[in-house]
Amino acid sequence: MSESTFMGVERDRIDWSPRIDFTKCNDCMDCVKFCPHQVFDVDENAKPKLSVKNPNNCVVFCRACAKTCGPDAISFPDKPETTKMIKAIRKAEKEAAKNE
Amino acid sequence: MSELRCVLPCNGLDKCAGDLSRRAALELAQSENAALICPVLLNQNRSRYEKVLADANLTVIDGCNTRCASKLAGDLELSINDKVNVSEVAKALEIKLGVDIQESDDNRAVVQAVLAKINSSAADQAESEFIEPEAVEYNSFSHGKFIFKVPQNNYFFNENDCWVTVSGKMARVGVSDYVQQNLSDILYVDPPEIGDEFEQFDDLGSIESSKAVFEIVSPVSGTVVAVNTSLNDAPEQVNESPYEKGWLVEVKLRDFSEDQDLLHDCPAYFEFLQRKVTEIDV
Repeated sequence: MSESTFMGVERDRIDWSPRIDFTKCNDCMDCVKFCPHQVFDVDENAKPKLSVKNPNNCVVFCRACAKTCGPDAISFPDKPETTKMIKAIRKAEKEAAKNE
Repeated sequence: MSELRCVLPCNGLDKCAGDLSRRAALELAQSENAALICPVLLNQNRSRYEKVLADANLTVIDGCNTRCASKLAGDLELSINDKVNVSEVAKALEIKLGVDIQESDDNRAVVQAVLAKINSSAADQAESEFIEPEAVEYNSFSHGKFIFKVPQNNYFFNENDCWVTVSGKMARVGVSDYVQQNLSDILYVDPPEIGDEFEQFDDLGSIESSKAVFEIVSPVSGTVVAVNTSLNDAPEQVNESPYEKGWLVEVKLRDFSEDQDLLHDCPAYFEFLQRKVTEIDV
């Protein structure tokens, strides 16, 4: 079991992390400076330089980096869909625990 | 204590709908918190009711869709707190009132439904007011040089460290002590718009310190009804009193029992936060 969870659901089962639109990204790296959770990584030799290296470090439902992004190159999954999915996993786990 | 009420009924004495309005009004007037207003005398000499109209909330009972009582109140520019139409209540119950005045089970049922409607809307209004808790009691734990406080009860938290406390259908949302200590001095609160509808986990504005911007991730779904305007001049209240004076947004709840599925109560959040601060170096 992974150590990190959100409402009891293992973090790696929740698809929540920034998506970067590289047609808009201008390499300013404001998101990297902003995010305190080391979600992003910069590799000066790579192209593009920016990557989402640790998606599971991203705080579920936080979209703050997208707001700091001037060219609006960062998007996130749909919140209500994500909420629904987390609830479904929790429900399935509760049922499974009951049947054990 | 319930609020004072005055009742202005239809005066159609010659028809069934008018008769039922009169009967509902008389029943309401049995309560010591209610006063009757005679529409004929009101129309003739408004000053007779000036005091009761000033002190009490006006409930209007119309008999039929001519709505004489509502129109009279409108002509006199009285502010109507609540109104019921006997004919519409009967229609909803699929009862035909007819013209003649008569005593029947159907008619008694209509009177009871009119009374129930008036009483339930009074209850709704009482619930639509956020009543502040008298005194909040806290548990705390320390981590390094920090001491973190969490209320003992009546607050719910998401794992984004935002809280909600509920009063009837209303609730207030704010950030936990952990957030305010992490951000240190809050300099600016960016509130959502009043009237905004939002889902659970949508953002409800943000707060900003010299260190960072923190997005308020809503613990509930609902509609924004008020924002804490005292924070415009004194955002430091979020630091000084994160669970009470530093509340951020007042909301009308949509489905709290559904939202609660993804919230922690106070003891669970207390444990969650203890784990969190040991994992993250605050």
